[in-house]
Amino acid sequence: MAPVTLHNIQKHFGAVSVIQDLSVDIADGEFVVLVGPSGCGKSTLLRMVAGLEEVSGGQIRIGAREVSDLPARDRDIAMVFQNYALYPHMTVEENMGFALKLKKANPADTAQRVKKAAEILGLEKLLDRYPRQLSGGQRQRVAMGRAIVRNPQVFLFDEPLSNLDAKLRVVMRGEIKAMHQRIGTTTIYVTHDQIEAMTMADKIVVLHDGNIEQVGAPLDLYDRPANLFVAGFIGSPSMNFLEGKVEEGVFRTDKGLILPLPANATPEEFAGRPLVYGIRPEHIRVGDQGIQGRAAIVEGTGSEIFAKLDCGSEQISCLFRERIDIRFGDTVGISIDPKQVHLFDKASGRRL
Amino acid sequence: MASVSIEAAADKRGVKGSKPARLAPNYWPFVVPALIVIGAVIVFPWVFTLWMSVHSWTLGQEQTFAGLDNYIRLATDFRFWESLWHTLIFTVLAVVVPLFLGTLAALIFDAQFPLRGFLRGVFVMPMMATPVAIALVWTMMFHPQLGVLNYLLSLVGIGPQEWIYNRYSVIPSLVIVETWQWTPLIMLIVLGGLAAVPREPYESAEIDGANAWQKFRYLTLPMIAPFLMIGVIIRSIDAIKSFDIIYAMTQGGPGTASETINIYLYNTAFSYYDIGYGSAMAVIFFVIIIALSFVLMMVRARTNWSDVVDR
Repeated sequence: MAPVTLHNIQKHFGAVSVIQDLSVDIADGEFVVLVGPSGCGKSTLLRMVAGLEEVSGGQIRIGAREVSDLPARDRDIAMVFQNYALYPHMTVEENMGFALKLKKANPADTAQRVKKAAEILGLEKLLDRYPRQLSGGQRQRVAMGRAIVRNPQVFLFDEPLSNLDAKLRVVMRGEIKAMHQRIGTTTIYVTHDQIEAMTMADKIVVLHDGNIEQVGAPLDLYDRPANLFVAGFIGSPSMNFLEGKVEEGVFRTDKGLILPLPANATPEEFAGRPLVYGIRPEHIRVGDQGIQGRAAIVEGTGSEIFAKLDCGSEQISCLFRERIDIRFGDTVGISIDPKQVHLFDKASGRRL
Repeated sequence: MASVSIEAAADKRGVKGSKPARLAPNYWPFVVPALIVIGAVIVFPWVFTLWMSVHSWTLGQEQTFAGLDNYIRLATDFRFWESLWHTLIFTVLAVVVPLFLGTLAALIFDAQFPLRGFLRGVFVMPMMATPVAIALVWTMMFHPQLGVLNYLLSLVGIGPQEWIYNRYSVIPSLVIVETWQWTPLIMLIVLGGLAAVPREPYESAEIDGANAWQKFRYLTLPMIAPFLMIGVIIRSIDAIKSFDIIYAMTQGGPGTASETINIYLYNTAFSYYDIGYGSAMAVIFFVIIIALSFVLMMVRARTNWSDVVDR
């Protein structure tokens, strides 16, 4: 285990700048998730930590060592790839013990470590199989086993669950988190799935266009997003954004809808400024008073009902956890909890 | 309901119970031309060769049934065993050397460098040339007095060699020609294999601590093994049957130093007109080729293609 420090990291591909001056501190044993949309530079950043991409500028430290210029094999890290990257001609046992074989480790010791990792991951009965004989989830476990056997200072995961079906993804998510809690190795995990980020991370780093938008604990990011990008990216379904201004003690959208101000906001503070009003779909309740909307989309999943309501000229997404009888075209009254409302400066996108 | 309709449909087609379907008489006109061709060009020559091999038949003389005499004579024919030995040496060298050089060339051409496509095109040109033309050119190049090879050797202080005119260097010299012509084939096969090899495991290996040699030894080589086996099979069968280049360059000489089974049986049948004995040799040679192919196919079957293709 070791802390990881990324200091002023830059990455250019020719004239294209992919990561600009990025710094993150990852504590010893911490599970950090790099999350962001496709093309935000998260995988590139991870590959730079791994030593599979050169760093254009800045420093990477693992523990006390500066590793920016070291080859991957000298960084004492283990990586789990999106497509598993198993050795197709080797059995599960050979795959897991390959790194130790290269180090000319004692075969008995290697076998012991492979056995222990296989026990952790439930792979004992699959050790003599080839990757082609395994399911997606089993392959992913082998990839993790290969990483565990090495007992590295840092685990790197590059979208490891992307190739799995939704159900297996949830199972594997739990297994990875359980593995981390058991082993406690510093982990950097890349995903574009904010649910994975929220459920697994001790700390989330939200990336956008090669820059850090916000760093924080999952609930901090959910409750107090730093800007419009984070507010829209974290949470599913996405937060409602309505543009408008504070007038006469209420928020009036550009299309004329009147909404309550945040609980602790003083109207004078925001009066006249172009703002964006943010409310999460799950923070909207059914209620007779207040806003009336006509259901344009209704999707029930059993545990919750997602609806898009046409409220005048505005459309508001709602997520109702209670079982209500609502159908396409129905008119529904909704109320907004002022304590859950966010206001953003329209020009800068920053949360106010 | 479904089973009823299937049975009804089967009855309509005349398929009853578990009896296998029989070809209707009007299908035969489509099959007969293929049967005639196969019979004429494959079955008849082999049956006729077998028939000839159990007869004593010298061209222009009466044929008499000889039973296994020709085969017994082969067992004690020193020249036959010598030709078998020459065939073995020639085949092993003409497989191993192109395999090694072809793999090396494929690894080089798999990398990115300027003019790669052009150079690869130049590299495969020997494969396209006709064997007799190649034999002619190389015979001139091997000439002890006039050949360019001895001239080139003289430039680096090495004395003239006798190449195909010396009984000890004739087979290695013929292997040089064979290697020159067929290394490109191995290169193309291995290059195809390298293109099919997944790239991701190399990143894993990099992180696992593998250096360049270890990546080749533990990843590349096992993953292209099925392709190498294809190369070995094609080259082995081709080399053991090699005739044109050897005949055009040495006719099996000097003396019998480069006489392979193929050359010996040709000389026996068409120079000494001993058709029966030559046919017995052809039968034994055929059995050897079949046995070799079978062994190689067995080895290849153990090298599972899905190790590479199915990830």
